[in-house]
Amino acid sequence: MNFYDYLSFVYGALSTVGVSFVAIIVGIPLGLGLALLRWARIPVFGKCAYLYVSIVRSCPAVTLIMLIYFGLPQFGISLNPFVAALISFSITATAFNCEIWRSSLLAFDRSQYEAAQAFGMTRWVRFRHVLLPQIWRSSIPGLINEMTLLVKNSPAISVIGLLDITRAAQRIGARTYEPIPPLLLGFAIYIIIVMLLIELQKRLETRIRSAGI
Amino acid sequence: MNAIANPKPATTDTVLRVQGISKSFGDNHVLKDISFDMQKGEVVSLLGPSGCGKSTLLRCINWLEEPDAGHIRLNSERMGYAGSGAKMNDTQLSQMRSRIGMVFQHFALWPHMTVLENVMASPVHVQKRDRKEVENEARAVLKRVGLEDKMDMLPSRLSGGQKQRVGIARALAMKPEILLFDEPTSALDPMLVGEVLEVMRDLAADGATMVIVTHEMKFARQVSSRIIFMDSGHIIENRSPEDFFDHPQTDKAKTFLHSVQYK
Repeated sequence: MNFYDYLSFVYGALSTVGVSFVAIIVGIPLGLGLALLRWARIPVFGKCAYLYVSIVRSCPAVTLIMLIYFGLPQFGISLNPFVAALISFSITATAFNCEIWRSSLLAFDRSQYEAAQAFGMTRWVRFRHVLLPQIWRSSIPGLINEMTLLVKNSPAISVIGLLDITRAAQRIGARTYEPIPPLLLGFAIYIIIVMLLIELQKRLETRIRSAGI
Repeated sequence: MNAIANPKPATTDTVLRVQGISKSFGDNHVLKDISFDMQKGEVVSLLGPSGCGKSTLLRCINWLEEPDAGHIRLNSERMGYAGSGAKMNDTQLSQMRSRIGMVFQHFALWPHMTVLENVMASPVHVQKRDRKEVENEARAVLKRVGLEDKMDMLPSRLSGGQKQRVGIARALAMKPEILLFDEPTSALDPMLVGEVLEVMRDLAADGATMVIVTHEMKFARQVSSRIIFMDSGHIIENRSPEDFFDHPQTDKAKTFLHSVQYK
């Protein structure tokens, strides 16, 4: 492998991490929003959230990204591939994160939420000081797990011509007739990214324990 | 029935005025035209068979349930409706509620906060008082309920009786104008009931205005200035504890006292 091969790995890693990172940043709060709509049993919106999650969950990453990249131009919206990838991964992350938040909400004891109401806490204070700290704590393992899945689904972006880690490995292997070394290098990069996420999980969990929030 | 509905006009000492409260859940009429007053320093025990509407009445007082009809006035301010007659918004309602302390049957402590944080939460986040000052007061209140050595623990490490004493301390920390107790000892082991009743007795002696839903008849008799007996959504007796326990007037009350084996 030459210098340009390594460079394409760096490029691939950046787009993998970039797409995953944006999807995480978008997906966590939007997923929480959808989960809250269902939790609060808001009639029409709760049903919409349910439909959204059901439809998105049944669409494979590759299919969704192609639908967005090739489908939206039919409606006059043309996208560059990277933006299409960001949108597609954010849509998926939102749906899956919604279910993770929702499982924490289902386990949350509503009586102490009502106590917060009786003690004069406004909706926002109840959310911020009673609900969120508790569901955040119980959602962290699921959310981090979903992040690792996002990273590992990222090869899907290569179907619309973007370079990710696996695609970089594949291209190098095809040129050098030695597919294994670049694939192992790609694998090593995935390991590093996932290890970093696991480290993040550990830190978040110990921070919560010591802060007692 | 009318004889016991607000017999006198409200005075400046009237902390709570409940007028004609009705509440239904579907076809189930839980409260039917409930009226009573409470003066400052009064301790009223709400008694009655289960399902008679006692807990719903408490929950209507602080608007956790919105009554279908009737008025609740806290120190002559109407609960749930702003001066203009419009329904209160979230902030206004929260301000009203913060003037009423509530103690729950199943404690409903916030499990992610330490004992001290539980007690400090509402004064800091709702009443927006100075954190340092609140902390000093919270420590004093916790000392009063005998939990000075548990302040930094999470509620899950406490016994039921200790949890409920935190629940009481949490309510006291807001300096409420009235305290509502919703079966505060019903979820406790019999041997832990005493420590909670002790704290409540102390509060009553100290002049707190309290409404207590309870099944502890002896306690109700000793500590109450008045007993309100409810049956099927009506108040059917509203009298002094001696009168009520020694000379119940209605058959319903007689049956009730007999069934709880009060002698």
